[in-house]
Amino acid sequence: MTSPVSTGISYTPTVIASQLVSYLNADQSQQATLETQLSSGNVVNQPSDNPAAAGSLLAANSSLARAQEYSSNASDASAWLSLGTSTLNSVTSALQSAEQSVTALSGYALSNSSAAVATTTAALQSVLSQVTALANTTYGNQAIFAGTGNVSVAYDASGNYVGAGNPPTRTVGPGVSVAIAATGPAVFGSGSSGLLGPTGILSKLISDVSTGTPASIATATTTDLAALKSAVQTVTNQAGILGAAYQSVQGFAAQATNVQTALQTQISAVDSVNIAQATTALTQSQNTYQAGLWATAQIEQHSLVTYL
Amino acid sequence: MSNIGLDIAASGVNAAQTAMDTIAQNLSNTNTPGYVSETANLTALSSGEQSGVGGGVAVASVTQNNDSLLAANAAQTSAALAQSTALQQTLQQAQLAFGDPSSSSGLGSDLSSFWQSWNQLSTNPTSQADLQAVVDSAQTVTTDLSQASGQLTAASANASSQLTNTVGQANTLLSQVASMNNQIVKQGATGTSVSALSDQQNQLLTQLASEIGATWTASPNGSVNVAVGGVTLVQGNWSDTLAVNNAGSATSPNLQLVAQGSKVALTASSGTAAGLLAAVNVYLPSYQSQLDGVANDLANVVNTQLNKGFTTSGTPGVDLFTNSGAGSLTAVNITVNPTVLANPSLIATASTSSLPAASNDGSNAQALANLYNASNGPDVAWRTAVVNVGSQVSQINDQVQSQTATSNAAQQNLQSVTGVNQNTALVELMNFQATYQAAAKVITTVDTALQSLLAAV
Repeated sequence: MTSPVSTGISYTPTVIASQLVSYLNADQSQQATLETQLSSGNVVNQPSDNPAAAGSLLAANSSLARAQEYSSNASDASAWLSLGTSTLNSVTSALQSAEQSVTALSGYALSNSSAAVATTTAALQSVLSQVTALANTTYGNQAIFAGTGNVSVAYDASGNYVGAGNPPTRTVGPGVSVAIAATGPAVFGSGSSGLLGPTGILSKLISDVSTGTPASIATATTTDLAALKSAVQTVTNQAGILGAAYQSVQGFAAQATNVQTALQTQISAVDSVNIAQATTALTQSQNTYQAGLWATAQIEQHSLVTYL
Repeated sequence: MSNIGLDIAASGVNAAQTAMDTIAQNLSNTNTPGYVSETANLTALSSGEQSGVGGGVAVASVTQNNDSLLAANAAQTSAALAQSTALQQTLQQAQLAFGDPSSSSGLGSDLSSFWQSWNQLSTNPTSQADLQAVVDSAQTVTTDLSQASGQLTAASANASSQLTNTVGQANTLLSQVASMNNQIVKQGATGTSVSALSDQQNQLLTQLASEIGATWTASPNGSVNVAVGGVTLVQGNWSDTLAVNNAGSATSPNLQLVAQGSKVALTASSGTAAGLLAAVNVYLPSYQSQLDGVANDLANVVNTQLNKGFTTSGTPGVDLFTNSGAGSLTAVNITVNPTVLANPSLIATASTSSLPAASNDGSNAQALANLYNASNGPDVAWRTAVVNVGSQVSQINDQVQSQTATSNAAQQNLQSVTGVNQNTALVELMNFQATYQAAAKVITTVDTALQSLLAAV
């Protein structure tokens, strides 16, 4: 008795059944993956989905968080700088009105000087308290001209500087640190060449004018006035520096925004599901699965048994 | 001259009958798991007659269509698949500790929030709210770390208990194989067929291969010796039992399968047990140590920078992260320094100790915010760990897929030889039916011839 011709795999019912079940399981697991992707909108839902992409997503998100910090630091810096600039502009106006008051004194006839002296003294005192108040401008709860040395005030009631250290800075880009204010001494000077304080220019002016003698008035209108003009120039220069810093911060703010956009695009490119593609693949997979189910249902194999 | 025609025809009928019985046995057992199809082997007989005529046909034996090579291959591939599957399941559970990389929650984004809280503090170093925010986000990070660590511990405990169950099942199977050996030898001695018992025993052996990677050798009397990694576990009707033993420690496990009778530790190199052992002894401890690495990096970079700085009162900075237990710092015992927790103003935001310059100095806080991408910092370590775990799980997924295909192919190959192809069997049945009918016809014809001979006398 010769055995039948061998045709490779002999499809016994067991073989067919196990093959069909195997294909069905593979279909099911593919469907599960696609469904997860569609419902989460992400391609990478666990590290094993795409380990390299998982790593780059984590890195991109970390950089994105830092870029957002640069943006918020830049807007904080802008607010400080623009407050500083406008404050110094107000200081300049106040000092210029002081200049005018003192200049006007030089033309007065000495006989009328007491009235003029009183008026000018009052005006100067008003400028001094105004400038001292402006020197204590705060942003939020922080005195902007105090450097890092004092949270609440830069100058005490007598006009002495109670701040210390360098101006605060903000990091607006990688390794980029911008000073967001000027210290009191840089703007208003210090000691007898400074504007504020009991020995400062304004106090000296007030003292010289209120003394009222021709000699003191002469000092007031020459030496003191010159010192005042020079101090005004310093204030103006500092305002310019703050203005320039403001401009550069705008540039960094724009850059931070660009970086964020680029990172978000990158994240999207790596991680966003292509909805059309995934939906098509899922439909195909479901069709294949249904066909497989139908085939499994036919597993009652037709063999010669039926025909004998 | 003897009339041997009847004897020959009778032998033909008997042989055809036996062959049809064999085919009937095959067809009835088409779907019996582990059934190996049988073949009736016919040989022609000689009669010793001077005339040279043969003596009919006999069934020399009924043998099983076994192929030990294919059977061993099928058992091996299914053991390898069981090993990979067990490892895959454990690692997929462990992977949950590492979260969803796309998600806006989880350790990666909590670390970012932590660095952001430092940036915020640097813009207002005396703000109680901002100081508290730093402490709060530090606590979130330590909680994340200990939770992840807890998940890994749970995965390990799960795998260990699965291993215990597997070993329990294997022990039952080992004793069953031994008692079947006994039955097979006894039945074989009486001369009757042991095919059915043998098939049953093969089922048990295949299961043992899947569970613990057992291999077996058959002895001539039909009994089977089972071994794992060279250590005999079943010999004749003696069987050993296995137990799981931890030769390491709780944190650094070295689980082993130990044969109780021979007091020897086994090297299981395939089967479910091997997969679980690899998970508990190698993979999970490595993931745990990577997590501990993240915790250590976090504590180191933050504490180092804080110790370089000063508080707004000019006092030197203190550690933010400390070890709540004994031994080395781990992801489980990392905690926010209780001193700082009670008094957040101890956070060193300033870079200088001189007063009053330190009183509103946030530059050290900014230096801390800048640690987000430190090469020895926690973010890099976390990223590396996530990629590492993801790669390993992805690899094991691929391995399971390809081993499933290999195992299926090996099963199909085995089935081709041992399985019952109904079409083939029915054709053979028809052939033997015809042979039976022909031999029966011969009997009738010889009988008629004899009758005519007797009538003539």
